[in-house]
Amino acid sequence: VPGTSAYVIWLLGALAEASVLVCSWRKGSLRKYLALNVYMLVCILVSAIRFCVLVSYGFGSREYAYCYYYSDVFLTIGLYFALTSLYAHVLEEMAAEKTIRLGAIVLLLGTAAFSFAIVMQSGPRIVGRFFVEVSQNLNFVGLVLTYVLWGAVFKLRETRTQLIQLVLSLGLYFSLVTASFALRNLYPPLHSVLQNLYPVIGCLFPLSWAYAFWRVPGDARLAPARLAVVPR
Amino acid sequence: MSRKLTVVAAMAILVASMGLKVAVAAHSDLTPVASVGSAPPPKEPWRVGSAPPPREPWRTASVPSSPWK
Repeated sequence: VPGTSAYVIWLLGALAEASVLVCSWRKGSLRKYLALNVYMLVCILVSAIRFCVLVSYGFGSREYAYCYYYSDVFLTIGLYFALTSLYAHVLEEMAAEKTIRLGAIVLLLGTAAFSFAIVMQSGPRIVGRFFVEVSQNLNFVGLVLTYVLWGAVFKLRETRTQLIQLVLSLGLYFSLVTASFALRNLYPPLHSVLQNLYPVIGCLFPLSWAYAFWRVPGDARLAPARLAVVPR
Repeated sequence: MSRKLTVVAAMAILVASMGLKVAVAAHSDLTPVASVGSAPPPKEPWRVGSAPPPREPWRTASVPSSPWK
């Protein structure tokens, strides 16, 4: 049964998600980053549904477990498409929207097929296992995609500060989740500690986006590094 | 970028991601959970509510005594 601290972190997480929407709306970035804002709105709705199910059926119930993991797949796919929209922002000058869409769908279908192939070998209750497997695999795909996007930001010399901050936050989030997951697997005694770390990471991530929308102006640009003068 | 190249790039990213997952989860058989959001994570659905398996029926019944006893 979750303690008071877990409920407080959950509430703070929902408030952080709402703050992303508010900050983005107040700073006029709601339409510009529509996919990110829709994702945050869905996060708030899912939090509300999860809370209702938790109160109605209890933490140890099968209903809450299914609600949690099924909605988790939904959110992970939402985050995946939010990440794809960041690709569209970074590569907008190349007019590669169709290519990005095709790549995203192929990658999503590939991940689902790979997850299904794994689950087929794991025994009974395939549907539940499939949803959890897809969610986990998409997290790793998201991590690699974010680092690739990071590379594109460097290579294309992207200077939009807000966009860079959003990509960096996402990279940090995926990296933290993967690092805690790796630690959990390497040191099983840390399982309970690290299991409680996921909600904290999930709470900090929307805060970093809210900060990016609130503190960084939409038209802010990073100053390019000074050119080195090489004496001849 | 051609369609073929896009599909190849997507597959390369998938292979890299799954390789990373295997590398990270290689030392344990724990079910990895990397969830989105700040709600407290429950046990995996297939581990919730599953009652402990009973003894095999042929071990539950008492053995009848032999008729000559």
